[in-house]
Amino acid sequence: MASYIARRLVAVLGVLWAMTLLIFGIVHLLPGNVAYMILGEYATADAIATLEARLGLNDPIYVQYWRWFTGLLGGDFGQSLVMDRPAGPLIAEALGRSAILAGISIVLVAIIGIALGIHSAVHKGTLSDRLLTLLQYFFIAVPEFFWCILLILFFAAWLGWLPATGYTPLAEGGLVGWGVHLILPVFTLVSGLIAHVSRLTRSSMLETLDSGYVLAARARGVPERLVLRRHALPNALLPTVTVLAVDVGILIGGIVVVETVFAYPGLGRLLIFAIENHDVPLLMAGMMVVTTVYAVANLVADILYAFLNPRIRYGRAAA
Amino acid sequence: MADAPLLSLDALSVTYATGRGPLAALQDVSLAIPKGGAMGLVGESGSGKSSVVLAILGLLGEGARVTAAAARFDGHDLFAEAPALRGRRIGVVFQDPSAALNPALTVGSQVAEPLVLHRGMSQEDAAARAVSLLSEVGLPRAEAVARAYPHQLSGGMKQRAVIAGALACEPDLLLLDEPTTALDVTVEAQILDLLEGLRKSRGLSLLLVSHNLGIVDRLCDDLTVLYAGRVVEQGPAEALLGVPSHPYTRGLLGALPRADRGRIGRLVPIPGGLPDLTQPDPGCNFRARCAFAEPACAAPQVLAPVRSGADASRLARCHKAGENLIWPVPDEAVRRHRGEGDILLAAEGLSRSFALGGLLGRLSFRNGIPRLAPQAEVRAVDGVTLSVRAGEVLGLVGESGCGKTTLGRLVLRLIASDSGTLRFAGELVPDKPGAAFRRRAQIVFQNPDSSLNPRKTVAEIIRRPVTLFGIARGAEADAEVDRLLELVRLSPAYRGRYPHQLSGGEKQRIGIARALASRPDFLVCDEAVSALDVSVQAAVLNLLDDLRDRLGVAYLFISHDIGVIAHVADRIAVMYRGKVVEEGPARAVLAPPYHPYTEALLSAVPLVGSSGRAAARIRLAGDVSSAAGAGGCPFAHRCPRRIGPVCDTVVPPVLEPKKGHRIACHLPLETLAAVPPALGWA
Repeated sequence: MASYIARRLVAVLGVLWAMTLLIFGIVHLLPGNVAYMILGEYATADAIATLEARLGLNDPIYVQYWRWFTGLLGGDFGQSLVMDRPAGPLIAEALGRSAILAGISIVLVAIIGIALGIHSAVHKGTLSDRLLTLLQYFFIAVPEFFWCILLILFFAAWLGWLPATGYTPLAEGGLVGWGVHLILPVFTLVSGLIAHVSRLTRSSMLETLDSGYVLAARARGVPERLVLRRHALPNALLPTVTVLAVDVGILIGGIVVVETVFAYPGLGRLLIFAIENHDVPLLMAGMMVVTTVYAVANLVADILYAFLNPRIRYGRAAA
Repeated sequence: MADAPLLSLDALSVTYATGRGPLAALQDVSLAIPKGGAMGLVGESGSGKSSVVLAILGLLGEGARVTAAAARFDGHDLFAEAPALRGRRIGVVFQDPSAALNPALTVGSQVAEPLVLHRGMSQEDAAARAVSLLSEVGLPRAEAVARAYPHQLSGGMKQRAVIAGALACEPDLLLLDEPTTALDVTVEAQILDLLEGLRKSRGLSLLLVSHNLGIVDRLCDDLTVLYAGRVVEQGPAEALLGVPSHPYTRGLLGALPRADRGRIGRLVPIPGGLPDLTQPDPGCNFRARCAFAEPACAAPQVLAPVRSGADASRLARCHKAGENLIWPVPDEAVRRHRGEGDILLAAEGLSRSFALGGLLGRLSFRNGIPRLAPQAEVRAVDGVTLSVRAGEVLGLVGESGCGKTTLGRLVLRLIASDSGTLRFAGELVPDKPGAAFRRRAQIVFQNPDSSLNPRKTVAEIIRRPVTLFGIARGAEADAEVDRLLELVRLSPAYRGRYPHQLSGGEKQRIGIARALASRPDFLVCDEAVSALDVSVQAAVLNLLDDLRDRLGVAYLFISHDIGVIAHVADRIAVMYRGKVVEEGPARAVLAPPYHPYTEALLSAVPLVGSSGRAAARIRLAGDVSSAAGAGGCPFAHRCPRRIGPVCDTVVPPVLEPKKGHRIACHLPLETLAAVPPALGWA
């Protein structure tokens, strides 16, 4: 197991290193001058030359990459050009707020999605299964920005129960003030994903319930509840675990939209801000952070997968 | 019978709800098993065998309606109490041990589970008992096995573990649903020995469900023959298989290729397929396929004693059962002089290895220091030399994983070889052969379900190679498709059908027609009849035989079934761990002198009507995956006739008892010639 985790870790580090090349390459190797890109088309030659010198753009490309890369390793994410502050703390602050949103969302997606999936599989063909199926397809089909607008109109503008936008820190607003700002964004983020995860769990649970070992367990006289819990569930969850990691990626994409619509000051909005203001160092740092989050989510999923699946935990050594 | 039987089913019927209306899977099935008795339940796929097992367990599910006049188990009402009986007094072993064990739980915990649930044992006591059960079923190092996960064990070990679990609560009755079908023949023999021993030592009653008449004959006292949901014949096993009464049973035995008889001429296929069970026939439901059908067969048939008075234990559901009926043997095609043509295909020293694991998989850490393991390889085919003459059938036998399929693909250059040469009609075949070689050498795959494109019609499937190899175009190609269909005995009406509209036997014929479309001289048949029922298999084997006579096609016929190989092959090659250990004319290979592996393989074959053969059986320990040393004889680690270290380290010399018969073994020829014949062939 330790060897397996170490191997996955090596793979994750490899992916992250490849991403540094990609992100750096996209920004620096594409046609056009970075300084020109930042300053816009009305920049004077002087301003461009000054910025080039400040960014070290006159050095050879590999020196620039090495400077950025070693900076990253040392925790230096560069300097935000627009805000004139180190990018690291800026991102850390935004990341913390996004992590609250994403963390609550992924936990809800996992718990509710898996529970609904199991319920549908066990009660296959019943009214509740069919009703859930209908709802799930509805939530999968409707895009999240539609929910954003509808929810704001209904709960914020019409009923006035919940704030439409913004964020209140826990220290200022207390649990309620902090929480009410999260309800609408979280609902928007999880609706489609819960439907997605529960559909998947349902089908893999059905497949497992149809398997030889579940039949064998029933033939051994194992009571149905134990058949579900001990024999079916651990095997049925394997595909779900993998998909949850992929869903973290979808969630990050969703967060960019949701944070923008609900004016929630997280990483997604910071990225949009960096793009709009041509803040290249901030953008690069933000992209690295997003990549790392996604890679770590997959690492966690791999480890969880191995924990559930002894075929990975132990090699094929004959007993 | 003085005692009441342990299990008695009286008029058991099972109906499944389907989209086309109720499907009568079982109709009035009655059987009784005395305490300590063993009943065999035989029949082809779709006969309802497994439904009987699930009905006894009460596990048929919600879609099934089960009725019976009476179903009793040792005085209990089976239907009311099935949930309390299963796992406690009735144990089950299903077909595929890989599917029956939960991959996420240790083997020991699955064996111990019923003990904790039904006997109220503590986890520790149950775990200890599980270890002793595992060693009782003959697993070495039972403690390690108990801690292992299913994927770490071989198929034979898994099936032993499943049997241990079924025995945990000391049941009175063991239900065995095709318990050895997924296993290799030498492992099958070990499991049958185990079951036979358990029956004696524990006084177990058995219900053995199988399509294999040889297995049933070995293990059972009584037989029930099931056809399309009805019992057609019942009686003592030996008498029933010796002189079958019902036409279906006679047909089954006539269709069976016998390893102990070899090539006795033609097999007798049973035409047609299973009747539509959504509209059960009130009369005899076999009459559409029966050679002896007459108008009286349309009347309902009863299961009655074959001969009145004398022998009441023999029952058959046929009003003609008492008559001496002999199935007509189909006509033979004009038989040409066989197997003496020029050498068509010659492989020399063909080898192929497969790498195991990727770069990251080889990386390991010891004390935090990364190390890269050397690339692990498995030698699937190891220096094989063989030749096939024009119009000859070379049978290739061996157990799973011995490299048969890889070799079949190597001689077609479907996969590249690492070393060795291949000649076809005298010419060297390059690694990437051209259309000329592809046209002349074709393949028939094992599973027609996956080798036929489900989105294409039969005509499209067959037409493709016809036009691809420039055999014909346009209307001519259509005529060619009809000709090929006729060649495999299918009417042109099949042209527009899709694979899912065909039966297994019909699908395999389409596979053969497609392979013949380019008018090849050489066909590789990779387990081409293994997925088929005996009655259909006979028809396909006869067809392949005729095609050889009419077209002079040579075959490399790959099979794990010694009976089939003995029936079709002119010459036989025996493979073990990538090497050919024996090769020669069929008669010579099937009789002593043998390679010790051939001997073990042949003596493991369950034969019909030779229960007394047990004395001469050779049993192998372990299975193919047991560790072997490099260098010497590939079979040395399991060989019952191993001489000593020489077998492990020195490549065995090739003995040639007769011209063309080669055995690679260190033992002197006299010793090999002195062994008793395993199949009754001297």
